[in-house]
Amino acid sequence: MKINFKISHRYAVSLLESVIEKKKTEKVILDIQLIVNTLQSSNELQVALQSPVIKTEIKEKIIVELFKSKIDNDSLEFIKFVIEKRREDFLLSIALRFLELYDEHIGVANVEIKTAFEFTKDQKESLQKRIEQILKKKARLNYKLDTDLIGGFVAQVGDTSYDASLSHQLELLKKQFLKGNISLN
Amino acid sequence: MAEIRPDEISAILRKQLTGFESEVDIYDVGTVLQVGDGIARIYGLSKVMVSELVEFPNDVLGMVLNLDEDSVGCVLFGESSLVKEGDSVKRTKRVASIPVGEELLGRVVNPLGIPIDGKGAITTNKFLPIERKALGVIQRQPVKEPLQTGITAVDAMIPIGRGQRELIIGDRQTGKTAVAIDAIINQKYTHTEEAKKLGINPVYCVYVAIGQKSSTVAQVVAKLNEQGAMDYTTVVTASAWEPAPLQYIAPYSGATLGEYYRDNGKHSLVIYDDLSKQAAAYRELSLLLRRPPGREAYPGDVFYLHSRLLERASKLSDKMGGGSLTALPIIETQQGDVSAYIPTNVISITDGQIYLESNLFNAGVRPAINVGISVSRVGGNAQIKAMKKVAGTLKLDLAQYRELEAFAKFGSDLDQSTLKTLAKGARLVELLKQGQYNPVPIERQIISIYLGTKGYMESIPLIDIKRFEKEAIEYFEVKHNNIFESLKKEKQISDELEARIKKAAEEFINVFKRST
Repeated sequence: MKINFKISHRYAVSLLESVIEKKKTEKVILDIQLIVNTLQSSNELQVALQSPVIKTEIKEKIIVELFKSKIDNDSLEFIKFVIEKRREDFLLSIALRFLELYDEHIGVANVEIKTAFEFTKDQKESLQKRIEQILKKKARLNYKLDTDLIGGFVAQVGDTSYDASLSHQLELLKKQFLKGNISLN
Repeated sequence: MAEIRPDEISAILRKQLTGFESEVDIYDVGTVLQVGDGIARIYGLSKVMVSELVEFPNDVLGMVLNLDEDSVGCVLFGESSLVKEGDSVKRTKRVASIPVGEELLGRVVNPLGIPIDGKGAITTNKFLPIERKALGVIQRQPVKEPLQTGITAVDAMIPIGRGQRELIIGDRQTGKTAVAIDAIINQKYTHTEEAKKLGINPVYCVYVAIGQKSSTVAQVVAKLNEQGAMDYTTVVTASAWEPAPLQYIAPYSGATLGEYYRDNGKHSLVIYDDLSKQAAAYRELSLLLRRPPGREAYPGDVFYLHSRLLERASKLSDKMGGGSLTALPIIETQQGDVSAYIPTNVISITDGQIYLESNLFNAGVRPAINVGISVSRVGGNAQIKAMKKVAGTLKLDLAQYRELEAFAKFGSDLDQSTLKTLAKGARLVELLKQGQYNPVPIERQIISIYLGTKGYMESIPLIDIKRFEKEAIEYFEVKHNNIFESLKKEKQISDELEARIKKAAEEFINVFKRST
């Protein structure tokens, strides 16, 4: 699916503003999450939406058929609007951007955590506490396993990485040795 | 046999590791979206600065040039094949900079200050950014001290002052680099005790080679070494095989090295060899970054590319220490076409140009300077009085000669005065010929020009002129060395000194043996 920051940002902002006005955020968030999950799990649906051969009316029918009974009317209207404007190939990126903006709105930081091993519940709890302390806001941690790290973890908030992994430590150590300031006295 | 116990080894290893801290490392990252042709597009790195260095995997460095709404455009200083889509990119939080200081004298470095001469690491902790703002009006003062190039034609008619920007322009194979190298070699004198006594400050040199063959650069370095000129010179090189971004930043690195001396009240000479190749490198990376092309496919800011570089040449006010940075940019023209885009730009930025011509070069006039169209707009103020006096008529005489030369080719009958002008002109042209790597001190230049313009050579056959000049200088040196001494000290020709020169010249004429 195409990524265009400008377009997806604009649609996402307008959706967010309208749902906040209507005070229907909780419902719509679940709907959007459902859309994201559906689109991400089905490559066929994505291809169908992107295809220039399939007519707009047919795309609209597919979407309505799929989500009709499962999502709120407002959400459905929004999707129809996006398709009408022929921006259906940006649907996923609009939805993702919407979730990002919503998190920003309610003050929750999305944190990607990569760990070498599965963390225990205690470890996860203390990590959550520490991260919220550092960021000074609520954090949602998404865990991922990455055995390349050897040990420790990497937490990424936006563009900033908090790197406490063993592989990175070894990399730094290697650099220090390569610098050549070895003095033997 | 001596033995080393294993625990000793471990102790030393442990010592090396003690300084190592294992805290959480915090850094900003982005992801490579697209890479190719030395350009990478990066997603993320939202806080990155323009011209900041970023780190790719495999020790490849890059520099940020474009900050777009949803991506960052970046040029690579290393192999682009080592960087792949999806790689993570780290910020270094440091704008592209280069180590500066006297430790770099005698060294050959790349534009990031990494030595490439195999003489070990450079031990300096002074770093300055490659891109710096040029100084304003208040911090400057007019050019007033001369920068002697050791080339008679230049020092007499196109004088260069410390803090000036003088363009060297010409086709390929016309001796542009030779002029610049001679200028560097001639600065050796400024580092001597004698110069110090006469109040001449030393000039430190930077030679920036852009887009040249590595073999050519090696030759230049070898020549400078042979002449003892590397002691006060740094060579910055981005050869033809190196990525375009390195070639693009090379002159700025050179300027930063020169500015270090300038800002410390010293004097420096920076040679950019050559800026047409730098413009081509910049065009390459601009087009790859999808900036719109303009005339000759150069981007719109190609004028700014050179103007901001050459504006950094300056003579500082006495309050700022009175240091100077003299720039000698070189431009290569195609078939003598000075009206192409880059040559016109650089001509308009600089304070004058030394124009080299291939037909003069082929006719044996070397250095092949066309003095008719070469100018120096500010250097005249810096010329020493003695030189000003003798060179005053030189340019006129040569101009008259060139005008008549065209007629004389038809072989028609010419009157006496025309013949005389032609003869004098031919002798002066002969006099200004000079060997490569053979700079002449200013006082000797003055004596030879004096002999030429005052008519002492009229009776000498053309083929004897060079020998006449050489022997005259030797004669002066042996018999009248005090003339040279007074010229150096007084820097002007008083009536008394002129009488002494006249007397010595007449003496010499009588002892000179013609070859026919």
